[in-house]
Amino acid sequence: MSADMSPVVTTFDALRGQLLDAAEAFSGGGDTLSGILAGMVDDVDRMLREELEIFPVCHHSPASALAMTRRLRTKRPKVVYLELCEDLRPLLDELRNCRLPVALQAFATQLDGFPPGSGPLSVVAPVTEASAEYQAIAYALDTPGVELVLVDRSVDHVFQWLPGEPDGTASSGVEGVDGEEAALHGDAVGVEIGDLRPRFAELEAHLLHHGKVRHWSEWWDQYVEQPLTGADYDTYRQAMALIGSLFRRLRPTEDDRLAIDEERERYMWTRIREHLTASGADPADCLYVCGAFHAVSRVAEFGLAADAPPYAISPRTGTRWLYGLIPSSHSAIEAQFGLAQGSVSIAAATWAKAGRRGGVTPYRLEGQQGGRTRTKTVKTVKGSEPPATAGPAGDRLSGFLAAPPVLDGLDEDELRGWCVDIVRLARRGGYLASTADAIAVFETSILLAGLRGRARPTPYDFADAAVTCIEKDVVPGRRDVRRLCEILLGGDRIGAVGYDALPPLARDVYDRLEPLGLDLSRRTQQRVLLDLKANPELEPCSDVLWKLRYLLPDGAVRPIMGVRRLGERPIQESWDLAIGRHQRSIIELGYEGVTVEQVLEQRLRRTVWEPQATAGVALTAVADAILYLGGRRFADEFGNRAVELLATERTVDDAPEVLRRIRRLLAHYRATEPELPAWCEAFVTVGYAHYCTLLPTAFADDDTGVRQVGAMLGFLFTLESLALSLGCDRAQLELAVRQSHPEAPAKVALLWAAKTQLGLLPRDELRARCDELLSNPLVVPAFPLYLSGFVQALEPVPALAPFVVEALSKAFARLPDPVLLPWLPTLIMTLRKHVPELVPVLVREAGRTFPGGLAELDAWTPPWERPAVPIRQGRQTGEAGAAPGRSGPAAALLARHPQACDAVAALLGCPAEWPAAEVPEPGQVEVRELLARHPTTTGAIAALLDR
Amino acid sequence: MTNEMTNEMLRAPAEVKYAAELDWLESIDDGPKPFSWRLSPRMVRLFVLGSERSDGLDREIPQKWFGDRGFVERSIVTLASDRGLLLIGDPGTGKSWLAELLAAAICRNSTLVVQGTAGTTEDHIKYSWNVSTVIAKGQSRESMIPSPIMTAMEQGVIGRFEELTRSTSDVQDALISILSEKYVSIPELDTDNTVFARPGFSIIATANSRDRGVNDLSSALKRRFNFVRIPVVTSKTSEAEIVRFRTAELLRRHRIELDVPPTLLDILLQSFADLRAAAASATSEDEKLESALSTAEQIGVLEDAILHSHFFGDRTLRAETLGGSLVGSLARRAPEDLAILNKYWHGVVEPRSQKDGGEWTSFLEGGRQTISTLS
Repeated sequence: MSADMSPVVTTFDALRGQLLDAAEAFSGGGDTLSGILAGMVDDVDRMLREELEIFPVCHHSPASALAMTRRLRTKRPKVVYLELCEDLRPLLDELRNCRLPVALQAFATQLDGFPPGSGPLSVVAPVTEASAEYQAIAYALDTPGVELVLVDRSVDHVFQWLPGEPDGTASSGVEGVDGEEAALHGDAVGVEIGDLRPRFAELEAHLLHHGKVRHWSEWWDQYVEQPLTGADYDTYRQAMALIGSLFRRLRPTEDDRLAIDEERERYMWTRIREHLTASGADPADCLYVCGAFHAVSRVAEFGLAADAPPYAISPRTGTRWLYGLIPSSHSAIEAQFGLAQGSVSIAAATWAKAGRRGGVTPYRLEGQQGGRTRTKTVKTVKGSEPPATAGPAGDRLSGFLAAPPVLDGLDEDELRGWCVDIVRLARRGGYLASTADAIAVFETSILLAGLRGRARPTPYDFADAAVTCIEKDVVPGRRDVRRLCEILLGGDRIGAVGYDALPPLARDVYDRLEPLGLDLSRRTQQRVLLDLKANPELEPCSDVLWKLRYLLPDGAVRPIMGVRRLGERPIQESWDLAIGRHQRSIIELGYEGVTVEQVLEQRLRRTVWEPQATAGVALTAVADAILYLGGRRFADEFGNRAVELLATERTVDDAPEVLRRIRRLLAHYRATEPELPAWCEAFVTVGYAHYCTLLPTAFADDDTGVRQVGAMLGFLFTLESLALSLGCDRAQLELAVRQSHPEAPAKVALLWAAKTQLGLLPRDELRARCDELLSNPLVVPAFPLYLSGFVQALEPVPALAPFVVEALSKAFARLPDPVLLPWLPTLIMTLRKHVPELVPVLVREAGRTFPGGLAELDAWTPPWERPAVPIRQGRQTGEAGAAPGRSGPAAALLARHPQACDAVAALLGCPAEWPAAEVPEPGQVEVRELLARHPTTTGAIAALLDR
Repeated sequence: MTNEMTNEMLRAPAEVKYAAELDWLESIDDGPKPFSWRLSPRMVRLFVLGSERSDGLDREIPQKWFGDRGFVERSIVTLASDRGLLLIGDPGTGKSWLAELLAAAICRNSTLVVQGTAGTTEDHIKYSWNVSTVIAKGQSRESMIPSPIMTAMEQGVIGRFEELTRSTSDVQDALISILSEKYVSIPELDTDNTVFARPGFSIIATANSRDRGVNDLSSALKRRFNFVRIPVVTSKTSEAEIVRFRTAELLRRHRIELDVPPTLLDILLQSFADLRAAAASATSEDEKLESALSTAEQIGVLEDAILHSHFFGDRTLRAETLGGSLVGSLARRAPEDLAILNKYWHGVVEPRSQKDGGEWTSFLEGGRQTISTLS
């Protein structure tokens, strides 16, 4: 081959001379310009002379793909070297199971050797069908005896070599892009074969300005893509190399991307050499596919004959990389690599058309999904011969550079089709468009193309014409005409990863959702109804869906009807599923484990063992484990962790959460298990002691809210019986309450309530204290705060409800308006936000207290203002503890049958003393006498009751 | 001749002002020309957007309208097609200027203009009668006064309709038949009662996007126009270019020789950019200046400052004057606009003058004084 190349040197001399003359004429020669111009020719020359055939490509270029197909058909290389991260190689075999475009992804969460906090790291390399690399991959994988070798640095090196922050060179992230399709790659760093674009803005602006085009994709299409589509192989190769060389030589000196690029070139040539040595392949049977930028590399390692010292490849870090395929889309690729909107779609359309016209059968992986048109193409062009490219390559550059780009002639049918379709689309999109508009678009397209110096309107001309003729208003929310044009010209194509290429977890999910009978690859939202009573076999599906709901982002699976809560078993559920649209999320779940359960377990365990985890978090995890994972093992593990966390907690911030959770869990266990799990008992005893200890501090501490203290008291009082049965001591609580000396009014009220509950403060004294507050004009403004405390006290001391109603009524009656009115919103908000479950209690109590109708209201006296009944007086005056139980039917019964009480007293060692026989109270005697004298009334009532 | 004419006119129309340039372009134009156009579409584009070295012309054609190339191309192409052209944009974006340039380049006549107002009647679009001639001689072509649009039809040139949406809907709709059938019939006459449009006739209308909806176009009329939307220039370099170009022209017109220092131009552009950003983030109309803050507005401010320093100052443009002119031109509503400017002056200009110093300090001072005078 090298022998063939020798005449080339002389053929380029003419061009070199011509360029040097031009440089001379422009700037006097001998300067940078002539250096650049001559250097470009040298670069091309050097690439052609290289023993290993180099195939320069550009990304998303149908011309590249076409030239690749032709070259592969004629040359039939045995080894194909490809500029792609070498560790992505195993993924390529799975491409045939996918609908393109998809992206090869490498993903790492467990970092080793990278700064902590920089993870998770993710790299994507999108693959579209209209690309040279796909042609090479398809050829190499489906032709027996052909080896495909990826030679670029590993994904680990991608991050090792990133300068500074991770978004330095490679465009990462989806900032400023809208639309769900454009965000398909998440925030991964993109790598691509054949990145070919001016390296500084001024050059690009200059090219666009003089090319009289709007953006880079259009420039490329007009000046490179179209002229090269029908060109022969030598012209293609030389022109591509020339452009690569131009961008390589014209770059800002401070561009640090070049250093990385050169490093990569060294890497690639070293790998190629290693492979050639190891396999003993003949370089003449090999093809090296790389970006045009790298094809004209000037590193010392370039070329098989290079005598540079061996390049030492730096070792990878210890990071564990996981690999997979994720769905991609044209718009995601455009967003990631900063291409004009719609350019990838237009490239795909051009490729399809070139395939139909050019008489080339493109390579396609066997079993490749999607792309129905392609199979038809293969049939129609079968047997057509690729153009012959035998013989030595001459100077094709001079011709290419001298002539204006040869553009296609007008394809009227195609344009007419577009015009009719765009009007149809526009009408469907809510525009007032008619056949007259189709005609106008047709005419305007041709005129615009003529004005821009081309015979055939490009898709960009057509889009401009359509905007001019159809778009009259800008309506927010409506697709604009430019977007409609994109849809028309192929639209955004969204890839999907086929079942066989999915990670085990995703496959498992698909299998388990099979009974639903849905097509999970569809990108639309699908509604599914599960009648679990009629079809109990669907219950496992429901389980999977709930787990997915827990793991996936919002919107992937969404329950419309049905909840999963402790102690509930749904009969019917309905779901909105958008699994197809969230395939990437499911695939990325697959990097975390083999089944959904495993991932769920890991996630729960991780949250529970995080350093900042709290008892509340752990209890939530217990509930989740019961709901989603079943079985006692995880619940017990997380429960024990909750006990541990509670014991070490120094704040009581999430006391309300803890109380709510543990109550619910206790209720669940009581209902379903014969006995409480050990950790529950431990939690209650530990909690009792813990909150008793913290109670005085919490009462005094200004930072602890009244709600938190209320929840602590709630824990202590409502779980008291359980705690006492498990061996706790009530004295601890009494002591803690005695030690508490709050200052904030709300907490003082809370403390009073607690004391009342414990019997340390009689109800009447509590009332007296409140009345005192209300009668003291200095304290009145603070009264609402006390009331807030009482409201919070409803939770720990529900029996206080009548008193709270009384206090509220008094407040409404007696507080001056300037105090009352500003406080009302606060009261309502407190009630709604913190104690919604207590509002019914309050309302019921109020209903009991207040009269039901307006008429009664006039004559109504609140119970607390009624004169005290004598019996109550008696109670108050009598010694504490002696009064209750002396009279009444129970006492009479006991007095009549004293044996049982005597036996108990004997057992306890107390003397059995019975009070003297009951003397009827004076009032009762009179009543009886009265009734005995006039028995008619009683008889009538008895008759009434009998009936 | 042309020079004399230009000297006698306060503002010469584009075809007079650039007559020599248009003559020369016509002489070298060998491209295909639609209808009776005087220049080919490419030359029209060249005239509007200016030439470059790569065009290989012997003579440099200056750029006259600054904006995206695509807008000009779409406009030219529309005029070559069957439809009228409607330029829509905020006030001061150069719609009328573009319309004038296009009409001048295509048919050397940019003065056939109908100004749309609430008082525009159908007569202004079609024709009216010279009452005394009608009384003397009866209704005939002689006693008819054709509107500018009708004249354009008869001559096969471009007619212009400024502020189309300001005129009422029924008046607008008189254009429908003109644009589709391309003739106007005169029922008052028995013979010779139809005026047919000659090839080359088309209409360039402009509409203010802020006023849209005052008299929105009927869909029948919309269908007969191609809409080209012209955005407010936001690129600082092209805006600087426009301001420099237009002020140079104004100075020439006023015969004032005065330099605009680049630092002052920067201050002007920067303060407009700030005010625009503030207007964009405002939530109610009261927080926005009434002015649209367009490029034309900037030119107005600069012109005001230049005239002020020329006639009342020491013939040097100073930052104080510029600050005063800015406040003076933008404060239109008494409390609201002044409050916004006051906030801007103390919240943005003051810190900037402390940080950057230089001309900003005197700019601050000038503005502050004017604000205190006005309030």
